Amino acid sequence: MYDLAIIGGGPAGYVAAERAGGKGLRVVLFEKKDLGGVCLNVGCIPTKTLLYSAKLYDHALHSEKYGVKASEVTFDFPKMMARKNKVVKKMVLGVSAKMKENNVEVVRGEAMILSRSSAGIKISSGENEYTAKNLLIATGSESFIPRIPGLDMSDDTIMTSTEALALSEVPQSLVIVGGGVIGMEFASFFNSLGTKVTVVEMLDEVLTGMDRELCVMFREIYAKKGVEFNLSSKVTAIKGHDVVFEKGGETLTVTGDKILISVGRAPVTRGFGLENIGVELAGRGIKVDDRMRTNIPNVYAAGDVTGFSMLAHTASREGEVVVNNLTGGNDRMRYNAIPGVVYTNPEVSGTGLTEEAAKEKKTEYRVVSLPMTYSGRFVAENEGGTGLCKVLVGTKDEVLGVHMLGNPSSEMIYGACLAIESEMTLKELQEVVFPHPTVSEIFRETIFTF
Amino acid sequence: MAVPVIMPRQGQSVESCIISEIRKKKGDNVAVGDILFVYETDKATFEEEAKTDGIMLDVFFSEGDEVPVLTNVCVIGAAGESAGEFRPGNAGATQGAVVQDAPEVKNAQAATETRGGKPEASVSPEGKPLSETKGKQASEPEGKPAVGQEEAPRDLAATLKTEIAPGISPRARELADRKGVDTSRLQGSGPQGRIIERDVLAAAEAAKTSPLARRMMKDDPSLSAARGTGLAGMVTGRDLKTGTAAGRDINSGMPAGGSDFEIKPLTTIRKLIAKAMYQSLQNSAQLTHHLGADARRMTALRKKVKKAVEEGRSADITLNDMICYATIAALKKFPQANAHFLGDSVKLFSKVHLGVAVDTERGLMVPVVRNADSLSISELSGKIREIATACRKGSIDPELLSSEAASFTVSNLGNYGVEIFTPVINLPQVGILGVNTIVLRPKDLGDGTIGFVPYLGLSLTYDHRAIDGGEATRFVKQVAIEIENLDFEI
Repeated sequence: MYDLAIIGGGPAGYVAAERAGGKGLRVVLFEKKDLGGVCLNVGCIPTKTLLYSAKLYDHALHSEKYGVKASEVTFDFPKMMARKNKVVKKMVLGVSAKMKENNVEVVRGEAMILSRSSAGIKISSGENEYTAKNLLIATGSESFIPRIPGLDMSDDTIMTSTEALALSEVPQSLVIVGGGVIGMEFASFFNSLGTKVTVVEMLDEVLTGMDRELCVMFREIYAKKGVEFNLSSKVTAIKGHDVVFEKGGETLTVTGDKILISVGRAPVTRGFGLENIGVELAGRGIKVDDRMRTNIPNVYAAGDVTGFSMLAHTASREGEVVVNNLTGGNDRMRYNAIPGVVYTNPEVSGTGLTEEAAKEKKTEYRVVSLPMTYSGRFVAENEGGTGLCKVLVGTKDEVLGVHMLGNPSSEMIYGACLAIESEMTLKELQEVVFPHPTVSEIFRETIFTF
Repeated sequence: MAVPVIMPRQGQSVESCIISEIRKKKGDNVAVGDILFVYETDKATFEEEAKTDGIMLDVFFSEGDEVPVLTNVCVIGAAGESAGEFRPGNAGATQGAVVQDAPEVKNAQAATETRGGKPEASVSPEGKPLSETKGKQASEPEGKPAVGQEEAPRDLAATLKTEIAPGISPRARELADRKGVDTSRLQGSGPQGRIIERDVLAAAEAAKTSPLARRMMKDDPSLSAARGTGLAGMVTGRDLKTGTAAGRDINSGMPAGGSDFEIKPLTTIRKLIAKAMYQSLQNSAQLTHHLGADARRMTALRKKVKKAVEEGRSADITLNDMICYATIAALKKFPQANAHFLGDSVKLFSKVHLGVAVDTERGLMVPVVRNADSLSISELSGKIREIATACRKGSIDPELLSSEAASFTVSNLGNYGVEIFTPVINLPQVGILGVNTIVLRPKDLGDGTIGFVPYLGLSLTYDHRAIDGGEATRFVKQVAIEIENLDFEI
């Protein structure tokens, strides 16, 4: 009898397994593909690895303004891909090692939840049956394929992020349907490599969910780089290489060597017997409370399968909450300071309330935004570049949200998460010493501008 | 003429100062304008100038001592004069000002410990509390305060200021303000339960509170949180506001941002009802039998009454009045239902004290009609109306609301359309009659004719510890019989 059975070895599953095993629980983890899930294999890690290659190429092309001459800068796409594969492999092996270290039994195969009784939860995989006291469902999500006439996933022209990461050559032109984080990162990547990129987005702005002012700035930067944006555009049909869409009452068409569908991800809730134990769904995902409990006792869900905060770092923390509570703790998830990062160049990062969210919740706030150029280091390392650091505080000067456009905001945003989670006010933050000269000082500068 | 020099009060909120330097020792010559000692408050340093010539007869404190304001620090006079009478802590000591003596502070060692270290528990000086004797010389407290006087001068200084609420030392209060500790909930470990510095320190350690939460509590002292849901259990602003965590509500699948609910504390009446209902169900063996009465006679009588009321010939007698009247009649025939269950005995009442459930805005009330069996139906009707109105108005005599006061209760939900229910007994009564709405039921009218007749449902809940099912059924059947055979003058 296992203490905890986990279905899914992605960031929610394998982190929960690591923690649980580390605390002495008997854990069995079912993974039908590769440890690390989408994140490690066809998500976070491979994309960021490729994006770095693209960034280096970018920098090399524009290094002259820094007094560095690099003639005939080229890129080797297959080599980029090979390196990406190497990094992924390394990370996956790392997870495997962690599982061994923590005595987690890993079952390679599909799991099927059979039943639940006072004796525990029964799961089968292959020819074997497993019984566990507790079950954590961490089956993640998959690319959502919308119903569009002519959209046929078996057609080579059309790809999701997974196929995009397996290309053997750089497409000459690319149409990206969906201007969210995934769409923009691929737009950034292929644009850097010389692809003519066209974005078709249904909403009236890209990266919806991030602070709107930053989204606008971001789009303008990429428009200057040659990416074509079509906002408020609804795709009505796909015909071969053509994407037909409606915009402002008109019907327009754009063409691409390849078409990337990145309109969102849907939780995976079917195919593993969820209905056999009566777990309730909410919307597309599994319904849970802030301790990741489903409606069924001893059954938990964490990560993308809950359909809520579909980010790898949220998934890991959610998995940890489950394990903490199973081992005598009193933990709960909070979502007030989940960082979001777009690894484009420049990066966009944010945590906490955006101005739009604050207005919607009718939360009173004050906001200060400073251009990144107020930071000496930013100016030193971003010749001709612009960016923004925006901080929202509440009525008692407590930090509500921080949003930044500019590098290396991805590495700075965690500081804002700390401030928001500890409910620091301007007073406390002003007493923290920031290193000089760094770009992170822009945060301090903004704090002092209130 | 020996003249004492007091520690000046440099500002409304200063209770004591620290002597940083003593410039004139015992025996030194003093001229007007000489600096006698240097002292400091939280904010500034001052020099005390001599206002008389003479010899420093005695200095009562040492460098580093913390001295309450308006206390004698030293005495200047002529050689040979005694300064003893001015020594703080002496019987009948003469002061430069109108206050009580300060107990002597022993030595610099002890005093400097006050600054940084934890104050020891101090023994309160015996004798009257100082606030009572403000304005006149009082007798010296018996003996010197024991070890740990560090707190004593503070206490003294504290009580000099009437603005300071008794129970917390100024130092502790200042610390509490700084750390955002809510002192209203603290147990003091100082003299007479006074909250002292270490109590505040302990509290600040125990409940980690976010800066936001501390600020909120400072601005609104009524806020508090039973538990924290922030980082590692930290009390957050949200905890203070909603009393619960921000999180995902399992019922909606979306995070509960505190905006879709409101926590309302229970009213007193709600608490009482909750307790009574719960206890009744926990502490009895109650179950309900349902039985119907043919309501034709009752409804016919009601029609007659209504007509008579219109014609001014009668007071209004409602269906409920009739049912109560019938119930009383049945109770007279079944005394075992008109009783209290006392655990090892049963209290059988010779009179019927009928409790009548009344629905009010504030909640359910069950006032009693005492000696209801002695009343005619119209008297009963009047009495019921009277107590019901009093309940709704809030002017009911609380004596009449006790479940001990009634021997049996009637609860009528007929007006609400309820067809069957299981009323809860008001312990220690052995039963309660629930009255349902009148529904039409098919009945064999004889000669093979089936017709619809009005049927009044009666739901009798009884305590099986006192009465068995058979008896209970016979009783409620009797109620039905009484209803079906109602007869009274209109």
